[in-house]
Amino acid sequence: MATIDQTSKFGKIAWPVLAWTVALIFFFPIFWMVFTSFKTDADAVKPEHLFFFTPTLENYANMTENYDYWRFAINSVITASFATLFALVVGVPAAYAMAFNPSRHTKDILMWMLSTKMLPAAAVLYPMTFLTKNFLNIFDTHFLVILVLCLINLPIVIWMLFTYFKEIPKEIIEAGKMDGVSTWGEIKDILVPLAWGGMASTALLCFIFCWNEAYWTVRLTTTEAATLSKLIEGNRAPEGLFFGRLSAVSTAAVGPIVVLGWFCQKQLVRGLTFGAVK
Amino acid sequence: MAKRTLPRLLQTPAVILLLVWMLVPLGLTLYFSFIRYVLNSLRRPEWTTPSFSNWRGFGNYEYVLNAKDFWFAVQNSLFIVGSILLVTVVLGLALAMLVNRTFPGRGIVRVLLISPFFVMPAVNAVLWINMILDPVLGLNGIAVEGINEIVRGLRDFPVLGAFFSLWPEFEPVSFRATQTSAYAVIMMVTWQWTPFAVLIFMTSLQSEDESQKEAAILDGASAWSRFVNLTIPHLARPIAIVVMIQSIFHLALYAEIEIVSRGNGNKNLPYLIGEFTSNNIGAASATGIFAVILANILALFLLRIVGKSLMD
Repeated sequence: MATIDQTSKFGKIAWPVLAWTVALIFFFPIFWMVFTSFKTDADAVKPEHLFFFTPTLENYANMTENYDYWRFAINSVITASFATLFALVVGVPAAYAMAFNPSRHTKDILMWMLSTKMLPAAAVLYPMTFLTKNFLNIFDTHFLVILVLCLINLPIVIWMLFTYFKEIPKEIIEAGKMDGVSTWGEIKDILVPLAWGGMASTALLCFIFCWNEAYWTVRLTTTEAATLSKLIEGNRAPEGLFFGRLSAVSTAAVGPIVVLGWFCQKQLVRGLTFGAVK
Repeated sequence: MAKRTLPRLLQTPAVILLLVWMLVPLGLTLYFSFIRYVLNSLRRPEWTTPSFSNWRGFGNYEYVLNAKDFWFAVQNSLFIVGSILLVTVVLGLALAMLVNRTFPGRGIVRVLLISPFFVMPAVNAVLWINMILDPVLGLNGIAVEGINEIVRGLRDFPVLGAFFSLWPEFEPVSFRATQTSAYAVIMMVTWQWTPFAVLIFMTSLQSEDESQKEAAILDGASAWSRFVNLTIPHLARPIAIVVMIQSIFHLALYAEIEIVSRGNGNKNLPYLIGEFTSNNIGAASATGIFAVILANILALFLLRIVGKSLMD
C-alpha cells in the first residue's frame, strides 16, 4: 500500500526547518563550548568579541600547564578501560549462562541484578569511604575506581549481553554441544564470533558510562586516581576569568566521548531500557 | 541435566560480586543508622567509633524526620525530578514526532540532537552555570545587557523615545540563589535528558503500525486525534519507562547540585547525605535508608514493566 502523503507544500518546508532549528538549539551549548575554547581568556568575557576574535590554540597548548590535563585524562582512560574489560570478563559468562541455560530463577536473578543498579549511591557513601579508607586501604587508588565502575555498570552490561545472546538461535549452540564442544569452546568458538557486534557495542556503552560517572569518581578519589570528572568538578567556579581555558579542557574531556556516542545511539536504547523498548 | 551444571555456574562470579557490593555497604549503612556515630566529638569521644554500645534505636530516624533540612531536601528532590520529567517527556514527544519523518539531513539532525546526552555531567554543569547562565559574563548577562543597550538607543528617538524611557533597565536573573539554582539544575539536566527521551520515543515510533494510521486517515481522522488515539497508546510503555528510568537517575542527582549550588541551600537527598557525612554519620545513614526506600518504590514499578517484556 502506498503511503498517503498528507503533508502540504508549506509543511514540506516548515517541518525540516523546524527540526533543524531545534537540533541546532540543542547542540548550541556544545558548539559554544568548542567555539569559546579558541578564544583567549580575556576575549572570552568581552561582549565585543562574542563572535569576532582572533582564534588561538593557546588554551589547548597550555592545558597541561593549567590543569595537568593528561594526568586526569590518563586516569580516566585507565579506569574506564579496565572497568569495561572486567565487566565483560564477568558479564559474558554470566549472560551466556542465563541466555542459553536458563533455570527457573534466571528471570529473578536478572531482575535482582537490575535492582542493585537502582540503589542510590549516596546511601552507601560513608560505608564505602569507611571501608576503603580504614580497612582495605584502597581509597584513591585506580584499583578502587576500576572496581566500583565495573560493579555499577555490571548489571547493564549483563542485561545488554543477555538481550544480544537471546537473538542467537539456540540450535547453533546446541549443535556445538552435540559435537562434544566444551563449555569454554562454546563461548570462545561459537558465541563470541556470533555476538561480536553486540559485545562491541556493550563495551562501548559501558566505557561511555564509566567515563562520565561523577559520583564515586569524585567522592572516592583525591589526587592519585582522580578522573576528568573530578578535574572539572574541582574547577566549578572559575570566577569568569578562565572561560577560554576551561572551555578547552572541557572540550578535550567530552569531545572523544560525544563522537563515540554518535556511533552507538541504537545500542543506547537497548542498554538503558533493558530491552523493553524495541 | 548434569551437563547444564557447569554452564549455570558461570553466573556465580557476577552474582557474588553484586551480592557483596549490595549487602556489605548497605548492611553497614543500616547498622550505622541505629547507633550514635559522629566523626568529631570532644564531649562524647566514645561516639566517634562505631559500636553496638552506642545503640540509639530509631533515634537517628527521629532526628532526621524532625530536621527541617530533610523535608526541604525531600521536597526539593521531588520538585527537581518532577519538573525534569514533565519537560523531558512533553518536549521529547514533540521532538520525536518532529524528527520521525524523512527530510534532508535527518541523520545530522539526529546526531546533533543526541549529543548532549553524552556530555559528562560535570562539564554540563560547569558549562551552563558559568558560560551560559552567569548574570554578568555568561550569555544570559550578555543578552540582557544587549537588550538594555538597544532600549537605551531607542530612547534618543523623537516621540518613540518618550515611550522607551518609561521602560526599566532589565536585570539578568542570577542562577546562584537557592531557588533559582534549582531552576538552573532543572534546565541543564533537561537539556541532557531530553535527547534520551527523543531517542527512546523515536525508536518506538518506528515500530508503529503504519497501515492502522493510513486507515485512520482514510476515515477522516484529524492529525490530533490520530496522535491521541493511536500514537499515545502505542507510546504508553516507552513513556512509562522513560519516566521511571529518569526518576531513578535524577533522584540520585549529585554532580550538578554540587557544582551549581554548593552551600547555597539548594539541596536534594544525596546532597543532604553528603552534608551529614561530614560529621553525623548516624543521621547520614538514616537519610540514606530513606533514600533507598524511595528509590525502591519507584524501582518496583519499573521492574514490573521490564519483567513483562523480558521473557517474550
